Amino acid sequence: MATDANLSVENDRRWVLVVDLDRCTGCQACVVACHAENNIPVVGEKQAAYGRWMHWIIIQRYWEGEYPNVKARFMPVMCQQCTEAPCEPVCPVFATYHNAEGLNAQIYNRCIGTRFCGSACPYKVRTYNWFRPEFPEPLTEQLNPDVTVRTRGIMEKCTFCIQRIRRAEIDSQAEGRILADGEIQPACVQTCPTSALVFGDLGDPDSRASQLARSHRSFRLLPELGTDPGVIYLKGGETNV
Amino acid sequence: MPKTLTRREFLKIAAGATAATGLAPAVRSIVIEPFVRPPEELLPGQATWYASTCRQCPAGCGIIVRTINGRAKKIEGNPLHPLNRGKLCARGQAGLQVLYNPDRLKNAVRQSGGRGSRQFEPLYWPEALDLLSDKIAALSSAERIAFLGGLMPSHVYRLAARLFETLGAAPPIIYDLQSALEGRSAASQLSQAFFGAPDLPVYDISQSDVVLSFGANLLETWMSPVAQSAAYGAMRQGGMGSRGLFVQFEPRLSATAASADEWIPVRPGAEGFVALAIGRIIVEERLGHVGSHRTQAVLYQNVDVREMATASDVPVETLRRLAGAFADADRAVAIPGGYLAGQRNGFSSMLAVQALNLVVAQVGREGGVFLSNPGPTAALRQNLPVNAFDEVMDLIVRMKAGEIDLLLVHGANPMYELPAAAGFAEAITRVPFVVSFSPFVDETAVWADLILPDHTYLESWGYQVPSPGADRPVVSSQQPVVRPLYDTLAAADVLLGLAARLGGKPAEALPWEDEASYLEETVGELHGSSLGAYDARTPSGFWALWRQYGGWWSEKKIRREPELTEVVQKPLPISDPQFEGDPEDYPFHLYPYSSIILSDGRGANLPWLQEAPDPMTTVQWGMWVELNPKTASALGVSDNDIVQVESPHGMLEAPVVIYPGIRPDVVAIPVGQGHQDYGRFAQAVSGSNPLVLVAPVTDPSTGALAWGATRVRLKPTGRKQILARLESLDGNGRESLG
Repeated sequence: MATDANLSVENDRRWVLVVDLDRCTGCQACVVACHAENNIPVVGEKQAAYGRWMHWIIIQRYWEGEYPNVKARFMPVMCQQCTEAPCEPVCPVFATYHNAEGLNAQIYNRCIGTRFCGSACPYKVRTYNWFRPEFPEPLTEQLNPDVTVRTRGIMEKCTFCIQRIRRAEIDSQAEGRILADGEIQPACVQTCPTSALVFGDLGDPDSRASQLARSHRSFRLLPELGTDPGVIYLKGGETNV
Repeated sequence: MPKTLTRREFLKIAAGATAATGLAPAVRSIVIEPFVRPPEELLPGQATWYASTCRQCPAGCGIIVRTINGRAKKIEGNPLHPLNRGKLCARGQAGLQVLYNPDRLKNAVRQSGGRGSRQFEPLYWPEALDLLSDKIAALSSAERIAFLGGLMPSHVYRLAARLFETLGAAPPIIYDLQSALEGRSAASQLSQAFFGAPDLPVYDISQSDVVLSFGANLLETWMSPVAQSAAYGAMRQGGMGSRGLFVQFEPRLSATAASADEWIPVRPGAEGFVALAIGRIIVEERLGHVGSHRTQAVLYQNVDVREMATASDVPVETLRRLAGAFADADRAVAIPGGYLAGQRNGFSSMLAVQALNLVVAQVGREGGVFLSNPGPTAALRQNLPVNAFDEVMDLIVRMKAGEIDLLLVHGANPMYELPAAAGFAEAITRVPFVVSFSPFVDETAVWADLILPDHTYLESWGYQVPSPGADRPVVSSQQPVVRPLYDTLAAADVLLGLAARLGGKPAEALPWEDEASYLEETVGELHGSSLGAYDARTPSGFWALWRQYGGWWSEKKIRREPELTEVVQKPLPISDPQFEGDPEDYPFHLYPYSSIILSDGRGANLPWLQEAPDPMTTVQWGMWVELNPKTASALGVSDNDIVQVESPHGMLEAPVVIYPGIRPDVVAIPVGQGHQDYGRFAQAVSGSNPLVLVAPVTDPSTGALAWGATRVRLKPTGRKQILARLESLDGNGRESLG
């Protein structure tokens, strides 16, 4: 452990993602940005129909009411980065584990594809490579060199763009400065047109994410399971006249 | 006594000292030279970001592209750009797959087996240009050449228009499906009527307390969706306390309506009636701020609220409630959207909606409607005028009559994008020589003799004045972020090459060596403006900063208050919608809508977009027909049952999606699938193009395509097609099918 905690990669940060449902319009920009950043393969129509899509973030859409008083609500769901993660204890090879910054990390080259973690996950956000991903030439050029391309038999999921976290941490460390709030932006947060997504350190009470987490609108998914997720939702509202 | 130093002795000592210095140990640093010398800015593994402009839709958002080792790796929004402030939509994010698409043309080609054969023979560029310039030189008259363009950068349009002017030919016709669906030409005519300028207005959603959107899918594809989405986010949670009221009037609950507080399912084509009734209630009951609307009473003198309520299917109480909310708000705005423009009474509906802004005195106010200030960009601003559909029909008639010998197509795909009944497919066969500039073999390129593939936008130069603009003068700049992958040639350079080959007047009018020198000269007009966020001492310094920042914009917010024309002193027209097809035979209204993912079909060849689920139906890689649950049960069909949809002009088959948010008398079909060509990903999807159903009718006041004015009938086929959907219909979750 380095003497100055702020300049160390090991620290007591708690990365969280705040999702403001009042801003989210379900536009799918985050979904495509995530594909681009994280080398996520596409599965095609047939496999998608089997439910074998690979998105790390999905926009769930819920209908409420009946015509004409009908409403649709969107809820982006990605890995909740649980503190008490049900996916972790079931992995026989420690491919999925908890890192020092509160992230559920997935070590691809340990994974042997038991899919136990996917079964244990109550949020159904883990995706499994049933096939070898295909990138017809020259689509391989789009691949992000910072992120491993996973092969068949590997489980994967949202990492909060850990490559971006690490890059920002290492850069700030090299420059001898403290990481600023908002400096790290996962691909989904970066692109979100309505700024519905905010990423930050819950350990820092002044970070924008911490402030939003204290909002009266905040809630977490399936709190009764006691998973203590690192994704914090802010509920949407309604204006009536 | 010190020894005196003679001049000779001094020189001797000095020479000796010099020699001693030269005898220092020979440690020199010599740079060893690598065999392959990488470009200076290239550090292996280190990312370089370049600013440019997104061209996935006409909005003109700024982008920055992460490149590593000379390859583009990720597109993000330009955080400095005033329009999108670092944000980007799904289509913008997928731009890399335009560049790296496996189905791109790699060089100029000629169709060796004749048009439609899909057999291509590579052509050496100078040969291709000679061929085309010979064709132009051989024209018997200049009227026999036509240029049909779609989404194209401003400089290509300006060069094409200039070349055609010197040839004595008609200027390019700009028309594509995206602009038809968003009602761009009608919106421009609406501005002309109201504000005396064709510039598209900016509706200040972010500062507004009440937003009434009439068929504007402003969070999806309409006009400038990223800027509007950012404004929407600010309206909801940006300020203190109030989260705004957002009401959407349209026959189908779009993804935009899903974010609205209230969705009012208006009878198709009756949106204008709702606006008229709301206006009438405001003036009649003197709602809102005292005195603000006295002068506007004349607008509504012929309006009967009860009649309007019946015609639009919106109860009088609802109208009264919304009129009150709209008039009482400090800041309120009404937005005339694309669906209005797609009706045969479109223009009168749009006038009625825009008049609401006038009645509550929101024109030129924060939170209301204003025009973007062109600043010193006025000279650059010769924005491509979007033509109305009837001008395309004129061209089709001339093509059919054999009056066109040479057709150039750039940035549009008329074979796919025009209603099949418009007859373009037949007309193109009557044109002896067709040239396409498409980087892909799309449905139109298949009917071209010669394809001169343009670079894709990440390899291209250009600039664009966004329209609608931002809250300040802005010009977006486009530059290549990577070297062109293949032997493609910029369309602007093709035009310059043609001019040089033709000689005479064209060569004089287009003297530039290449498009970059033309651009450098053109954007030089902005150099020295006091408004700019940056300025340079020299033109070349300005040219460098222009490329570095991805454009030019003002540092400060500068808005332009529209000046009202006399249209505002006459009673507003009330005109009934008209539909193609007898209601007895064709009981449903067809609503073909622009897909948030594929827009007008341009995105269909990008696997990331095909894989991204439609937000409302969660369908991936598919095309479907949306029916109200009641309509579906009356027909005896359910999810995934294939129905036949037939209009007076055509027929298609597609699986059903039961959609709770649609009027029972409306059938909605997304646009974008059903490609016969356009690459493996577009062709992989079993779907149809709803434009086969659309009647080629127009709104007589604007000439715009009335794409929402066709009636259809439905017939179950008894067959099924399981759509790939994210949503689990049986409630069993993932991987429960098959």
